[in-house]
Amino acid sequence: MPSLLSIRGLEVAYGAVQVLFGVNLEVQTGEIVAIIGPNGAGKSTVIKAVVGLAAVQQGQIVFDGREIANLPAHIMPALGIGYVPQGRIVFAQMTVTDNLEMGAFLQKDSVKRRQAVQQVFEQFPRLYERRHQPAGKLSGGEQQMLAIGRALMMNPRLVILDEPSLGLSPKYVDVIFDQLLALKQQGRTLLMVEQNAARALELSDRGYALELGHNRFADSGEKLLANPDVRRMYLGGA
Amino acid sequence: MELLDPAILLQLLISGLLAGALYALLACGLNLVFGVMRVINLAHAELMLVGAFSAYLLYRFFGLHPVFSLVIVVPAVFFFGYYLQRVLIERVVGQPLLSSLLATYGVSIILVNIGLLLFSADYKSVPAMQGSILFGEIAISKPRAVAGLISVALTLAIYFFLERAHLGKAVRAVAEQPQVAAICGIDVRRIRMLTFGMAAAMAAAAGVMLAMIYSFSPISGADFIQKSFAIIIIGGMGNFAGALYGGLLLGVVESYVAGFSSSQWAEAVAYLLLVAVLLIRPTGLKGTAYVK
Repeated sequence: MPSLLSIRGLEVAYGAVQVLFGVNLEVQTGEIVAIIGPNGAGKSTVIKAVVGLAAVQQGQIVFDGREIANLPAHIMPALGIGYVPQGRIVFAQMTVTDNLEMGAFLQKDSVKRRQAVQQVFEQFPRLYERRHQPAGKLSGGEQQMLAIGRALMMNPRLVILDEPSLGLSPKYVDVIFDQLLALKQQGRTLLMVEQNAARALELSDRGYALELGHNRFADSGEKLLANPDVRRMYLGGA
Repeated sequence: MELLDPAILLQLLISGLLAGALYALLACGLNLVFGVMRVINLAHAELMLVGAFSAYLLYRFFGLHPVFSLVIVVPAVFFFGYYLQRVLIERVVGQPLLSSLLATYGVSIILVNIGLLLFSADYKSVPAMQGSILFGEIAISKPRAVAGLISVALTLAIYFFLERAHLGKAVRAVAEQPQVAAICGIDVRRIRMLTFGMAAAMAAAAGVMLAMIYSFSPISGADFIQKSFAIIIIGGMGNFAGALYGGLLLGVVESYVAGFSSSQWAEAVAYLLLVAVLLIRPTGLKGTAYVK
């Protein structure tokens, strides 16, 4: 079966600084795939290139049989890709409901938009309680739920998450990983970048470890967790 | 004149609110462009004069009342602004402020000189409406009443579009987080074209209304752009509702100052108000700190 997402030989540079040197990555439908690696490995750049937020110099990005490298970001929801940006960026001055509605900007039917908002509220009851509040007033964990909910609004076939647990309190790290597990159980396909490598690999079917813009290890989540080299280099040695 | 006569106080309040509504319509467009793309449009008052001179031509040659010429002028200037954004302004979005100041100042110079070529520097007016409406002891000039009410209606229409409409919310989303808005499926460039078109149309509508009340020449823009800047700083940079409040506030204060002292003082009051607001609340009435 062809992969849902297939990245081959991806090269990205920011100005004169090359960040990725031929990265390969596959995501199958129904999988959770994690990209791990130290700061500067180029983890976030891989997914930014996929969603059109970083310019691709070389290589292919094929989603569902279609070459998508260097397509503009605003067509991603129409292709079936949802994106949760790093730093739980929400529209701070807009209400929780309006934030979610923006996630379905391309859905012109307001009844269907409202149904999608209700589905997110069922998944995240906390957001329903705060639906009339400006998103800027939410706690960090609630904002991350909102950012995830917003990415789900168009019922995407692939959800891409950039550091979903970064900067959250330990309690909310648990909450967010529980939510990711719930998404997995619903059969969603996830690709995430996560600095909390151990927890990400526990949850993931497969993982890719990057080092300075190159693929270093690629294996199932369990095998990566058991690999002494990976433990030493990416999981703090223990 | 007995100044503390309640009828006179009410008269000054009403004429101030009507004048302020026109200021608000003008300043809201300027603030909308700043809020969405961090561009200060120095040609905003010239877009207003495009509206005023269009109303003048349509009245002079076709006898069209300014209220009806709105139907032609507002859409026409909307499309002018829409494509001006695409051709020129889009290139300076996200660039250092100096780039957008120079680009829009260039547009302003071009429009002023086209105006001087076509109309000379002589003052024009559109005397389509005369007389006053009387409410007991209070008399309101008809053109001012009509201009003020139409300005309020247009400003509120745009406000509710931004607050309630799906597309209007997308404009606010782009103003807050353009990259995240894009990833939501919003074509950010198109939203900026829409925004500049709306702002230009608001300026032109203000120009049509202004033509009914004041005389104007191609170089009349300076007074209005200065007052508009004072208003958006008083109201809060980038905040649409702030420009509405700021405009109404300035209209009322100018009206009372003109009533109690002289219209020369009223001209200066915008800047006194500006200094006062900056001393007490540097972010403006409705503003939040500008974080880059």
